[in-house]
Amino acid sequence: MARPRGPSGVNAPERRMFLAQLAGSCTACALAGMGPGDAEAADRGRQDPAMGLTSIEEGGLNPHPARWYEKLPDSWVQCGLCPRGCRISDDERGTCGVRENRGGTLFTLVHSRPCTIAVDPVEKKPFFHVLPGSVALSLATPGCNLWCKACQNWEIAQARPEQIPTRTLTPAGAVQLARRQGAPLIACTYTEPVVFAEYVLDIAVAGRATGVRTVMISNGYIQEEPLADLCQEIAAYKVDLKGFDPVFFEEHCGGKLPAVLDTLRRLRKHGIWTEIVALIIPTQNDSVAEIRDLARFVRDDLGDEVPVHFTRFHPAYRLANLPSTPVATLERCRDVAMGEGLRFVYIGNVPGHPGENTYCPGCGEVLIQRLGMAVIRNRLKGGACPDCHRSIPGIWS
Amino acid sequence: MAIDRDRRRTLSALGAGALTASPLARAAEAFFPGPPPGPRSAPAGPTVAVARRPGLVGARDVLDPAKLADGLGAAVARAVGESSPVDGLRRLFEPTDVVGIKVNCLGGAGVSTRPEVAHELARWLQAAGVPANRILIWDRSDRELSAAGYTLSDGPGVRVRGTGVDWDRRLTEWGPSASRFARAMVEDLTAVISLGRLKDHGLAGVTLSLKNWYGTVNNPNKLHAEGCAPYVPHLVAHPLIREKLRLSIVDGSTGQCHGGPGRAPNWDWPFHGFLASTDPVALDTVGWRTLEAQRKRVGLPTLAAEERAPRYIAGAAKLGLGVDDPARIEIAEV
Repeated sequence: MARPRGPSGVNAPERRMFLAQLAGSCTACALAGMGPGDAEAADRGRQDPAMGLTSIEEGGLNPHPARWYEKLPDSWVQCGLCPRGCRISDDERGTCGVRENRGGTLFTLVHSRPCTIAVDPVEKKPFFHVLPGSVALSLATPGCNLWCKACQNWEIAQARPEQIPTRTLTPAGAVQLARRQGAPLIACTYTEPVVFAEYVLDIAVAGRATGVRTVMISNGYIQEEPLADLCQEIAAYKVDLKGFDPVFFEEHCGGKLPAVLDTLRRLRKHGIWTEIVALIIPTQNDSVAEIRDLARFVRDDLGDEVPVHFTRFHPAYRLANLPSTPVATLERCRDVAMGEGLRFVYIGNVPGHPGENTYCPGCGEVLIQRLGMAVIRNRLKGGACPDCHRSIPGIWS
Repeated sequence: MAIDRDRRRTLSALGAGALTASPLARAAEAFFPGPPPGPRSAPAGPTVAVARRPGLVGARDVLDPAKLADGLGAAVARAVGESSPVDGLRRLFEPTDVVGIKVNCLGGAGVSTRPEVAHELARWLQAAGVPANRILIWDRSDRELSAAGYTLSDGPGVRVRGTGVDWDRRLTEWGPSASRFARAMVEDLTAVISLGRLKDHGLAGVTLSLKNWYGTVNNPNKLHAEGCAPYVPHLVAHPLIREKLRLSIVDGSTGQCHGGPGRAPNWDWPFHGFLASTDPVALDTVGWRTLEAQRKRVGLPTLAAEERAPRYIAGAAKLGLGVDDPARIEIAEV
């Protein structure tokens, strides 16, 4: 039953998967003049002890004291990170699979242990109002606190950390790597950064000193206190609002919708730049009534200038039986949301669609023209429309 | 050969078969007064063998080897309806089988399946004709196995290892969830034994033989909502487990009636025994009652009063995995 092992001690198929993740989704190889076929070389090139960046390691856990939890009798603890508030017995983990009780002390096992590192356009996150055309060093550790049936990254998000090849990358190392790649941003993404919130926080602190900003791409399933702590340090937060029907949200994702809505309201209170993505799944969360409710919530509780991205679903994970979202459905969603007064509504995962562009709410002219993840033209001047001078909200410099 | 195996599986599933004249069948007949059931009648109730040997757990928590062999052997033999554990295992397993003994090592030494128990079982399997290199003692991680006192081995001889990163690549959907199964379970093992521990579980109520199978999928952390009630039955009903499961045993040398699944020494007690059955639902039903009895002795409320009765046991019965009606279960004290 033993499997062949590579020189690093990692099972060969696992190592290939890691490299494929590196090469498949990243522009780092391209930036370095390498194609996906050079992934092995890219991996060797990334083994830089000076940055705390090590080679791939099997089952590497890095127990690091967790920040948000409460001790209970009999060596139990109650996690205070996400709304689940998992009560965890000694030697057990929370629902996320990455926070473990060891003798009455809660540890995160994934601090400084990313499973995926890449350099992506910020538009891929997607952030459309944050430094358009720039790149973000993007990283993830294994684990998630939800289990969405449409998860695109389930192989790493739904795994426990010892099941996924990871490597060591310290917060300072991440910042150094971002600077080396010319990335003004570090995006905590792909899986669920809430479950590696301590790592996010430390990266953000390390980055702030050198001008590298940290952003989160998240399901927003987080309690008030850790969110407040993160909001002291991060620059922007993208929330995947996976549906607006509580029943759908619970059945599809295993969570409670009101907790995510609370997060969105708190982000507004903290003044954190926020964008919302709604993955539209055919027949599941695409009714006009649901989209209208979502749009009204954004308008009334968050403000009509919060960008909302309606993105196209493609068959994945446990919804492989469904077709991709018709473009007409996305267009209908956009029309409904704009009809409710939202100013910046986008269509995602449909490269070349006019709904990818940013339009001036004042004069209607195109301000930022996009093609997929590329910015073709950016006409903003000092964060305003060059034609009517209307201010456009976002982080532009 | 195929017919023999089907017959064994049928017997295993019934616990006590109406088609045999084994001691188990005779006991079942005694349990149900009146004429013996015909071939098309409802199956007789299962037997749960309970073997207690005072003095099994000695000073410094060391097991007495003779009492271990005697007690565990009596439980296994009675559960299968044979006169010795080797005969019992010979009835359940072929020499060509690759047999997995799934232990529960969560919580470390003191609250895990004891290595001596697993290895005693492995010795009897060999005596029953299963070659040592076709026996695997396993749990989900090498770390947990080591912490529970196991010596890891990739052979020769009986293998002892955690599934670690060795998960089947494919996603398997089952009931309300989806997981990756341990690759050994998918590709290697042809027959399995659940060898859990007699202990409390703070979320699920108890963890005995059924919930032990959480250690064979990659995402047990996602399967603890609602006291595990929606998940345990469907997981054990998956053909990968159900069609391979021949015997379930609970190591009750020491039990823990509260504070589990991690170790809580204040709540453990020497039960000095073992429980075994070919019906995992019946086994867990009896194990649950055993824990409740101890809770009562030490002044703890019932699990139901703490709103954590193990509802998954009834769910497993509803899925046809076994019998949870105490009135239909024969408890054979041996």
